[in-house]
Amino acid sequence: MKAVISSIVVAIILALIFSLPVLAQESGTITITMTGANDISISLDKTAWPLGNVTLNTDYYTSPPIEWCTLTVEGNCNVNTFIVGEDAEWVDNPSDYKWTLSNTGGNGEHIYGLWFRISGDTTRGPLSDGYVPITKTQSEFWPYSGGSGSSLAPGDTKQFGLKLLTPTSFYGGRQMQAHITISAVIA
Amino acid sequence: MVGRIKLAGLIAALLFILLPSCTLAQDSRFSVSPAEVYIDNLPLGEATEFELTIQNKEEPAHNFTIATFQPSKEERWEGRAEFPDNSWIRFSCPEIEVAAKSEVNITVTVTVPREQKWAGGDWEIWLGVTDESSDLLAVRLYVRLLVSTEPAVGTGTNAGLIAAIVLGIVLLGCGGYYYFRRKAKPQ
Repeated sequence: MKAVISSIVVAIILALIFSLPVLAQESGTITITMTGANDISISLDKTAWPLGNVTLNTDYYTSPPIEWCTLTVEGNCNVNTFIVGEDAEWVDNPSDYKWTLSNTGGNGEHIYGLWFRISGDTTRGPLSDGYVPITKTQSEFWPYSGGSGSSLAPGDTKQFGLKLLTPTSFYGGRQMQAHITISAVIA
Repeated sequence: MVGRIKLAGLIAALLFILLPSCTLAQDSRFSVSPAEVYIDNLPLGEATEFELTIQNKEEPAHNFTIATFQPSKEERWEGRAEFPDNSWIRFSCPEIEVAAKSEVNITVTVTVPREQKWAGGDWEIWLGVTDESSDLLAVRLYVRLLVSTEPAVGTGTNAGLIAAIVLGIVLLGCGGYYYFRRKAKPQ
């Protein structure tokens, strides 16, 4: 009887010796790596463009047209930047009336166009004049596919301007408000 | 001349539009850290947490929203696939006000369902922190979240291992028993 108990104890010890390393591998630990030193930040020196009264089917440019706003990278990591627009809404009743933002930068009835141009970018965009449509789908601001530029480093700046193309027809006497979001992600 | 004045009056009456609103522009300077988070070897079915810090660098308080964003393939880092389901990521506060020149921490919880099809995943998703400004231009900062789940060997290997251990114990026990029994037998 003593031999039986001894045998089982020895067997369990041997089995555990061989299985423990394997078990240890199976119960791996989660690793969360947060590069705490990386702090992302960009700033814009202008955020409003009070246009006043506008007429239909007309282009409006910021003043100055291209160096109107300066984007500055303020964090400590290189960034890629993007831009996205929204429909313009009637301030008094946003759900009741809007101008739809065009997918191409063009206009139509209650459809308006928004464009941006970055200083120094003279050939970018569908018309090769530097102006790029802002749509409701997030797209590259800087750098961009096919361009020679690289991601922006801390302290780098980019100047840009905006262009608004009003609809071919719209309801008058209503104050409209648009939103453009410029975003950044670590490169 | 009279005809020209009439026409100008008609246009002004029909197209009295302001864009954007006349509210005063508010500066927006904030940062988010860390700019990238790696979660490696995340076990299926287990929740893991980390914190994002939003720092409002301006004098007035600002409202921020936090939401997930699926980047396109071109914007994801090499080897990273689209994160399968945004609902696996939860924020302690999807909307928060940050007082002037202060910071807050947001807890982000990531849980991947306990289904073998999600094992061995290497995914990327962005967490966007947006300054909810009423101005035309707003800033959004993204945090890159890179999640890798535990390898696919999971439960099958554990079951096999347990069976092997049991079998090993039985075999070693039997072997030991017969060894001691034979040894104990008188010659």
